[in-house]
Amino acid sequence: MLSNAIEALYIFDQHNESILEHVYRSRPASARLVLPLYLAHPTPRPSLIYLPNVNPPTVLFSVIHNNLLFLSPVSTETEPLFVLEFLHRVIDVLEEFIGDPLLATKIEGNYDVVAQLLGEMCDAGSVCNTEPNALRDDVDVSGFLGKLLGGVALPGSSPALLPSGGLKQQMSLNPTSNGPAIPWRRANVRHTSNELYVDIVESLSVTLAPSGRPLAAFANGSIAFTSKISGVPDLLLTLSASGGKLGMEKAIELPVFHPCVRLARWKERPGELSFVPPDGKFMLAGYEVNLMPSNLDLKSWSNTNLQLPVSIEVTKSLGLIGADFEVRLILSSILPGASTSASASRPNLGTRGSGRSTPIFGSSASGPTLQDVVVTVPVPKAVRNITDLRASRGEAYFTPADNVVEWRLLTKDAAAAGNATLRCTIVGPLTGDDEDGANGFTFDAANGDYDDKEETYQSSALDAPRKSSAKEQNQSRDQRKIQQNASFMPSSASVSFSVKGWLASGIRVDGLVLDTRKSRGLGEGVKPYKGVKYLTVSKKGVETRC
Amino acid sequence: MYSIIPAGLILISARELTLEAAQSAGSARIVNSRPSNRDLPFAQTKKLLDSRNDREILEGLRKVISMMYRSKPCLPFFSAVVKNVASPNIEIKKLVYIYLLHYAESEPDLALLSINTIQKSLSDQSPQVRAMALRVMSGIKVPVISQIVSLGIKKGCADMSPIVRKAAALAIPKCYRLDPNTLPQLLDYISVLLGDKQYYVVGPAVIAFLEVCPDRIDLIHKHYRGLVRKLVDMDEWGQLATLSLLTVYARKCFPVRTKKVKKNKSKGFYEDEGSEHEEDNSGEEVQVLDLDLELFLKACKPLLSSRNSAVIVSTARCSLHLGTSEYIDAAIGPLVALLRSPQDIQHVAMNNIVAVCLVRPESFVRYVGHFLVRATDPPNVSRLKFEILTLIFPHCEPHIREMIWSELEHFTRAADAALVQESVRAIGRCAQNESTASTRCLRLLLNQLSSQDGNLVAESLTVIRHLIQQDPQAHVQTVIRLAKNLDTTTNPEARASIIWLVSEFSGLPEEENIAPDVLRILVKGFADESEAAKLQIVLLAAKVYLHYLIRTTPAQTEEAPGIPSAQVVECASLHISAAAEENGWQDPHPPPSTDQPGVESDQDSPHPIPLLWTYVLHLTRYDVSYDLRDRTRLYRALLSNPQSTQLASLLLLAPKPVPHTPSPSENRKGLLIGSSSLVIGVEAAGADGMMGYESLPEWVKEGEEPDAKLRDEGLAKEVYGEKKDVPAARELDKAVEKKGLGKIGVGGAKNKTFDDWLDEEEDSEEGSTEEETESGSEEESSEEEESESEGDEEVDRLVKQ
Repeated sequence: MLSNAIEALYIFDQHNESILEHVYRSRPASARLVLPLYLAHPTPRPSLIYLPNVNPPTVLFSVIHNNLLFLSPVSTETEPLFVLEFLHRVIDVLEEFIGDPLLATKIEGNYDVVAQLLGEMCDAGSVCNTEPNALRDDVDVSGFLGKLLGGVALPGSSPALLPSGGLKQQMSLNPTSNGPAIPWRRANVRHTSNELYVDIVESLSVTLAPSGRPLAAFANGSIAFTSKISGVPDLLLTLSASGGKLGMEKAIELPVFHPCVRLARWKERPGELSFVPPDGKFMLAGYEVNLMPSNLDLKSWSNTNLQLPVSIEVTKSLGLIGADFEVRLILSSILPGASTSASASRPNLGTRGSGRSTPIFGSSASGPTLQDVVVTVPVPKAVRNITDLRASRGEAYFTPADNVVEWRLLTKDAAAAGNATLRCTIVGPLTGDDEDGANGFTFDAANGDYDDKEETYQSSALDAPRKSSAKEQNQSRDQRKIQQNASFMPSSASVSFSVKGWLASGIRVDGLVLDTRKSRGLGEGVKPYKGVKYLTVSKKGVETRC
Repeated sequence: MYSIIPAGLILISARELTLEAAQSAGSARIVNSRPSNRDLPFAQTKKLLDSRNDREILEGLRKVISMMYRSKPCLPFFSAVVKNVASPNIEIKKLVYIYLLHYAESEPDLALLSINTIQKSLSDQSPQVRAMALRVMSGIKVPVISQIVSLGIKKGCADMSPIVRKAAALAIPKCYRLDPNTLPQLLDYISVLLGDKQYYVVGPAVIAFLEVCPDRIDLIHKHYRGLVRKLVDMDEWGQLATLSLLTVYARKCFPVRTKKVKKNKSKGFYEDEGSEHEEDNSGEEVQVLDLDLELFLKACKPLLSSRNSAVIVSTARCSLHLGTSEYIDAAIGPLVALLRSPQDIQHVAMNNIVAVCLVRPESFVRYVGHFLVRATDPPNVSRLKFEILTLIFPHCEPHIREMIWSELEHFTRAADAALVQESVRAIGRCAQNESTASTRCLRLLLNQLSSQDGNLVAESLTVIRHLIQQDPQAHVQTVIRLAKNLDTTTNPEARASIIWLVSEFSGLPEEENIAPDVLRILVKGFADESEAAKLQIVLLAAKVYLHYLIRTTPAQTEEAPGIPSAQVVECASLHISAAAEENGWQDPHPPPSTDQPGVESDQDSPHPIPLLWTYVLHLTRYDVSYDLRDRTRLYRALLSNPQSTQLASLLLLAPKPVPHTPSPSENRKGLLIGSSSLVIGVEAAGADGMMGYESLPEWVKEGEEPDAKLRDEGLAKEVYGEKKDVPAARELDKAVEKKGLGKIGVGGAKNKTFDDWLDEEEDSEEGSTEEETESGSEEESSEEEESESEGDEEVDRLVKQ
């Protein structure tokens, strides 16, 4: 039977100096002991490292965030994901309480808050409370940060300066005394301006065959929600996809939800998210969309109309001795042009967008633009250098330490549709030219046809004239070089970019309704401001084989 | 009420804000010049702690806490800090508690002095203070107080506030670690808390149960259905514990029952499943789920859309080890969806996915797109992805197979040697799982042989060798083809591999036998070979010679070749080199039939094979390698007597076992999904997994299970199967109202919780209080309808089919 426990949490800064050690239970391997063992593991270090030589044998879990290293040693059988999820929650909670981005100095400056949080999240090894909203009720964020985060008109958020007589009054006001009615929502939320924001971010993961045919294409979406609404609002977020209701069911696959989402409603009517949100920012849902629908349909393999704003093609072994390769970047014009109908501030989301795939609500009036286009071409380690980087747009350079060619396009370069190319020449490792090149089998393609039942190769071997004994020395040398260089060619290239105001899946927010009848404590006639943002990113997500 | 407080607060907070701003600006300056000079001198800190001003005390405590985290000595402050435990200021209390938990062990006597004050806090008016006091008291590691802690827990279990009850549940394992003798009392508390109405309390109670008495499943019976119903509402950590508890419980309490039983009932149900497919016509065996087990499995389903990856894997574990195939299939999609998570989680998730894939590869076929290796994948993830591709390969349709082939082929051209190795091995596994694929595989691998990359060539040859060994008869021609490559290949391992393969085929009838010829050619360049290749050449020579002896001995006993003189050897070698020049390297296998008659027609010269053998013996005798010389001596001794070849054939010609490369994770198959041991693997953690690892118990035998009636809750209204369920939160509110505590919340309309409102809507008498906030009070009737439908939704969410 698996019983899970956290034994300790260590945090190290970017110089691998310990900035926090919190022991929860028993006597785990100390931070000073495990750090060198962790660093001794060759990179890339997995999130779970087994240290059999520590007494007792320990599994070391690690998460790296913002250059901070979070380690947690565990000496008895524990679910690895339990520990890793806990570490991620610690990071989320710390970011929420002491500020995003999380920095070593912030932790050092707020040890008292961190100590309370860590103690509250995990009680002697048993994880018990990781909801930021519930922690807000229990942990006093004092000091300047608290003022910024806690909401100005929140009673009971900062009792630090109250005369101690006021304490009891506050405590009795604090409704958590009756147990949390909604575990994920803080009690007594009050905001002077009521706002709701939906941010849908899709990150692309596309693999293209050398021919340009897509092998797999997914958009991994996540819906971040920010709710700053007084009382207990009950919200209904309606999503729609290009294919209408049915399309929605097909489009969104394998969703995961924040516990606040009513699953039955989603199941009944896919695309409708009904929920009472936590206060502040949270991840409402995650989903994925297969951009190549009907995966198993044989015909679709050859012919899919996958629409990407950017794609790349790589041609290798160019030039006289095959030392060049060319990357062609295709900037297509599938993004809708400058939008005119989307107004800058739209209090009511209920109005439909015009016929475009993903209309823009509440964002700037300009249409979606392609930004941060970076092409990354990893090259084999054996490559000594890359010369002659000729880019028709933008700038390219080679980083020998990482063995990658990076080619950046400025936003203005990326704005115009069309093609851009980058041509590079590789310089392989030093080899004497006169050295006998025949290290390796020399099958030529003609003889390479392998047939199991016939003795084809026997006959073909007899017939085939030997290539190496060919007439022109020069030609054979070039061929040898081409062959040599072929092994230094890149085998893939990927492109990163981001597009604001456009979603690859075509999903859009149809409406965000605050159900005033179900919501409580909202105040009279409150019409919250609603904003929606769409963002598609590719972090080396579109990958072409070559 | 409400209008007054904010006004006051605003004044205070305005002043506070400026103060804090100034302060933080100051501290920011210090932070920049980090780090050590931030510490105040000892005396000054102590003065702060001893102050009468809460603000200064707090300041002092913050200093001490931050010293504590930076591993600075702060034990000297013990008494100064701990005396503040009596402070009524809750914020001071919290910080003192943190200090106390950290240092109580080092100063047990002084810590005891604080117990009294903490005990008093257990009866504080505020549940938060009570809960905190209980948590701290149980966390002080001084065994003397175990009875006090136990009493405190007892009191906490009966507390009205769920917060305190939760703290009590969490204190139970701590008390047990403090003094295991308190177990009998603790069992009572656990039993009470497991039956708590609040899901908020039950989760921690299960956690406590797992730590204190995981084997006492008899305590669970009457709470079983309650736990199952509350499962979906618990927080993620409670869900994890409950899933793990109920999985074991189910194994121990629900025997496997099958319809149309043909086989032994006690069989594991996977085998049952297997037979389901195999003997379709001869009466199926379908697992029949116990109703209570089905209840649990159904309650698990909504957890599959949890945001917590650990919950998803745990749910998958339940389905895999308890459920039928349809439950397993339902869990596969969410498992695959874990690949969207951050990289650290991905790695662990992949291990679990592979483990499930070993059991049900066919269900993964539709997710094949997720397992394409990407350039950004770390090596451990790409390795596992390859494994999945090979596992699902036999179950794929042709076009997907095609894709997998090209995928694997693509990575044989990768720059990373490890990736190349993995992909070639994966190709080999695809081929061995599927006989029709082996031709294709060989073609692919043979193409790899022309690569410049020695690594790739060597790895391909190993795989080719395995494939050939699986069906030697079909691959005679392949070996000939490989032998031709000895002309060009330079990689020592590759050469050795080819030579070994040739030697394995040295027993063929003379017309097809290329081994002697290959030997003849190889011997010529013997001196330039690598040691690995030399070893194989000697072995080849020994085998060729042995076959020759076996062929010739019965017929021509007398003519057995003695040890030829050096002169003859020289002649022979001359002859060989002449032959080599004639036929040349260009034509690696001159038909033996033309060569040999020529030799044999010349009655004076002996057969070339013994000559070759002697020549090899001479060559190796003066080699630099000890190993080579030793082995040669062995072979020479073995083959010295041409009459007795028996021992030699036993040694040299023993049939080789057909190599089967299992999927790399095959040996982890028995390990429990979701465990650390599964990720570490048996190689590192040992076959029994990590310390504390326990596999699931076997299914209980029919007839030995506890009576199902034990699970009846005795409450007529909560009969199993009834869908109507009341959310725990509402139960609580009702309880609160009954106890007259509702007033606190009802004081101001804005203080009310969501569920208060729900309740009020149902009993419309309280509707009047709503008017303050509700813009234009709706008509009573529509309100009523709305609340009804809403109520249903709420229930649906909790029941979730």
